[in-house]
Amino acid sequence: MSLTRREFIKNNAIAATAAVAGVTIPGVSAAADEEIRWDKAACRYCGTGCSVLIGVKEGRVVASQGDPDAPVNRGLNCIKGYFLPKILYGKDRLTKPLLRKADGKYAKNGKFEEVSWDEAFDEMAKHWKKAITRSLEENQGKGVDELTSRVGMFGSGQWTVWEGYAASKLMKAGLRSNHLDPNARHCMASAVGAFIRGFGIDEPMGCYDDLEHADSFVLWGANMAEMHPILWSRLTDTRLTKPGCEVHVLSTYEHRCFELADNAMVFTPQSDLAIANFIANYIIENRAYNQAFIDQHVSFNQATTDIGYGLRPDHPLEKAAKNPGKGKFNPISFEEYAKSVAEYTVDKASKMSGVSKEALLKLAKTYADPNRKVTSYWTMGMNQHTRGVWMNGLVYNIHLLTGKISEPGNSPFSLTGQPSACGTAREVGTFSHRLPADLVVANKAHRDFSEDRWQLPEGTLNGKVGYHAVLMHRMMKDSKLNTYWQLCNNNMQAAANMNEESFPGWRNPEVFVTVSDPYPTVSAQAADLILPTAMWIEKEGAYGNAERRTQFWRQQVAAPGEAKSDLWQIMEFSKRFKMEEVWPPELLEKAPQYRGKTLYELLYANGEVDKFPFTGEIKDDRGNNYANDESAHFGYYVQKGLFEEYRRFNSAPDIIKKGHEMAEFDAYHRARGLRWPVIDGKETLWRFREGYDPHVAKGEGVRFYGKPDGRAAIISAPFEPAAESPDKEYDLWLCTGRVLEHWHSGSMTQRVPELHRAVPDAVVFMHPDDAKRRRLRRGSAIKVVSRRGEIISTVETQGRNLPPEGLIFVPWFDASRLINKVTLDATDPLSKETDYKKCAVKVVKI
Amino acid sequence: MNICGILIHIQPEKRDEVTSRLLAICGVEIHSVTAQGQVIATLEEDNEERTASSLLAIQDLQGVISASMIYHHSETEEASPS
Repeated sequence: MSLTRREFIKNNAIAATAAVAGVTIPGVSAAADEEIRWDKAACRYCGTGCSVLIGVKEGRVVASQGDPDAPVNRGLNCIKGYFLPKILYGKDRLTKPLLRKADGKYAKNGKFEEVSWDEAFDEMAKHWKKAITRSLEENQGKGVDELTSRVGMFGSGQWTVWEGYAASKLMKAGLRSNHLDPNARHCMASAVGAFIRGFGIDEPMGCYDDLEHADSFVLWGANMAEMHPILWSRLTDTRLTKPGCEVHVLSTYEHRCFELADNAMVFTPQSDLAIANFIANYIIENRAYNQAFIDQHVSFNQATTDIGYGLRPDHPLEKAAKNPGKGKFNPISFEEYAKSVAEYTVDKASKMSGVSKEALLKLAKTYADPNRKVTSYWTMGMNQHTRGVWMNGLVYNIHLLTGKISEPGNSPFSLTGQPSACGTAREVGTFSHRLPADLVVANKAHRDFSEDRWQLPEGTLNGKVGYHAVLMHRMMKDSKLNTYWQLCNNNMQAAANMNEESFPGWRNPEVFVTVSDPYPTVSAQAADLILPTAMWIEKEGAYGNAERRTQFWRQQVAAPGEAKSDLWQIMEFSKRFKMEEVWPPELLEKAPQYRGKTLYELLYANGEVDKFPFTGEIKDDRGNNYANDESAHFGYYVQKGLFEEYRRFNSAPDIIKKGHEMAEFDAYHRARGLRWPVIDGKETLWRFREGYDPHVAKGEGVRFYGKPDGRAAIISAPFEPAAESPDKEYDLWLCTGRVLEHWHSGSMTQRVPELHRAVPDAVVFMHPDDAKRRRLRRGSAIKVVSRRGEIISTVETQGRNLPPEGLIFVPWFDASRLINKVTLDATDPLSKETDYKKCAVKVVKI
Repeated sequence: MNICGILIHIQPEKRDEVTSRLLAICGVEIHSVTAQGQVIATLEEDNEERTASSLLAIQDLQGVISASMIYHHSETEEASPS
């Protein structure tokens, strides 16, 4: 019987769906569609790292399927997956560079006009060279630890691995500026801080396999149902099929995860610190700690307290703090640690948090029960916290006390919001204090090693930590950072306190702002130069997800118009600089071979990055061909060259920090991703434990090898209040976050008309009694007002987010209702990550 | 033409009421329901906008724990031989 094309496609849809569920439907089977070229790609949205099969016909994406061979998503895709190909085809894709001009030339307050790439880069280079010249003058006679710079770049946890690597090399090796920070500063920095303090090496020890191994799940400030739907569906499966499995949910408001909660806890903002310390205290009082584990594998420490709120130094809160920004912690005994948490009784924790004693005890008993495997998950609720590093650490403390770590099902797990916050921002080191593979700029040995890898003379790399994300905006406002290039994110919308810091910084006439983006975002509109960008599968890419899995994809389609990838932009821009323009004569003296060369020749045409030939097409092992626009332009296999050079930081025999080893480039095009460390082609599921992690020798059992003594650090830290709490006038907590339909600032998902219409505006989720008290009803027009700014919106008292009395929740995706005009730029003083979850506001009727 | 294969996890004890609610959504067909509450469904709809609103309706439906997009195909019918 011959099928119509429609029936044929429908049959394939049913067969694929049935296969994922593990059922067969009589008469239905999948058949190959000869008209479509299928290939895998990592999803563009969140940090889960789902693999998607992309079907291309005549140069356009026509079909997609959850990748059945992917261990992460096993054929599933969240509903956003449907809209995934559509993000490429938004009506307002940028296809030409746009420069603000008046009377035919650049003007800060001019109107955007189309320009050629040449004119765009010429104008941009002019401003960068001016700033660099000033820096060279200011740095005369200064040591390498005191170097300052006036040029900066703001990158992304959505960059591909090689884009982050190429950017880091341009800024740090070429321009000697550490003012490179990623938007991952806003989402992951606190997690990183705690990993480094506790374990001496970044990223989770466990993996997604814990989703099937755990008996109990604890959500500490993560709305997985909406933000990580595929992980949530795996968790749901375990909860519904494993006898005795239970789910504990902690949050400052009710969200969709509460539907599955066996123990639902809504706590007062900031009191998570008290709850975590109570659990530690409960474990100690009931002698439920694992004595052998703490004897062998743990050290006890006390954090420095009263550390401020990462605000400008002249802010009253900073002046009042005893130890602003101090991260030092000191060794203590177990007894001293026990004493430090003893005040956190169940009564105290219940009183501070508003959570019932029964619920808190149920939670504590789950961790204390030696026969229960517990996996803890958290995302922004814990990271975007002025004590985020402490709070991450307090959860590790619980897992370390009980030894419930680094084995199947026992896992403290920091989830990621962006597809490559781990793979790019963290592993490549695009932070203002980092170098590739967990190395840091402040460490001379790390700089020496990096200089060797990058063929730089000794003393090239700047040893002074650069400006972090929040500081960049302050320094732009203060005219100390004069060029700013933002790629692959939307920081004007994302950064807190837009009115007082971000906007005045960007629009300062002393600053030249470039934004590279596929769409005219809020950031693009606030820039001086907009560069049109090729996105996602319009280029060959690599992402690293939250479970240390590195995944590759090939270029599937061409970018529209003159749009170019960030990689192309970064490398091409470097051709505009002669070494004499960016390095002082005394440095060039040490490396005369670079005289007369360009930055491009130093950084990319260096015998390493350009050593793999490109033959005009990329072939897969099924005989399909793919374009690679960057390689065609530069004349060598750019992505491979960059990745293999990067691997010399994490996988060469002489590396100085083990544990991040990766497989060779080609292996990732074959595999559905591999979790590092990859040793002899084998990935690692649980780190630090013998039998799973090849870095742990036979007989050692467990070894936290990121620390010189092999011991993980339990660091005691107390409750300290939020930077700003509700008072008489500003009487509500404001918590911001995401919604399922829109990813982050909505710059991609708002382009999909159906998604935009489904959830067009950011509404203010509010408790019905709080609304009534203000004579408001569902749908009432209101103003949300803080000490810094206000937005106009409407009240929502129903729906999936149900705040308690005294708190409102406002999503931040909406470019027409910019909630970051209202938020406070208080940060964790240790991680410099903004607390987007807590400030004081009032709501007034209009 | 838009054809989606969707795997929907429903509360098994509410099977009948949830499946009938699903079927009330424009373009939804159910091909199989497992004892654990997994529904194998397709959504077939030519209008882009209705496809999207049906998809969003599925996941917001009471009794639906999670909905996953497994397969999606979109093409203009004139361009393809039948």
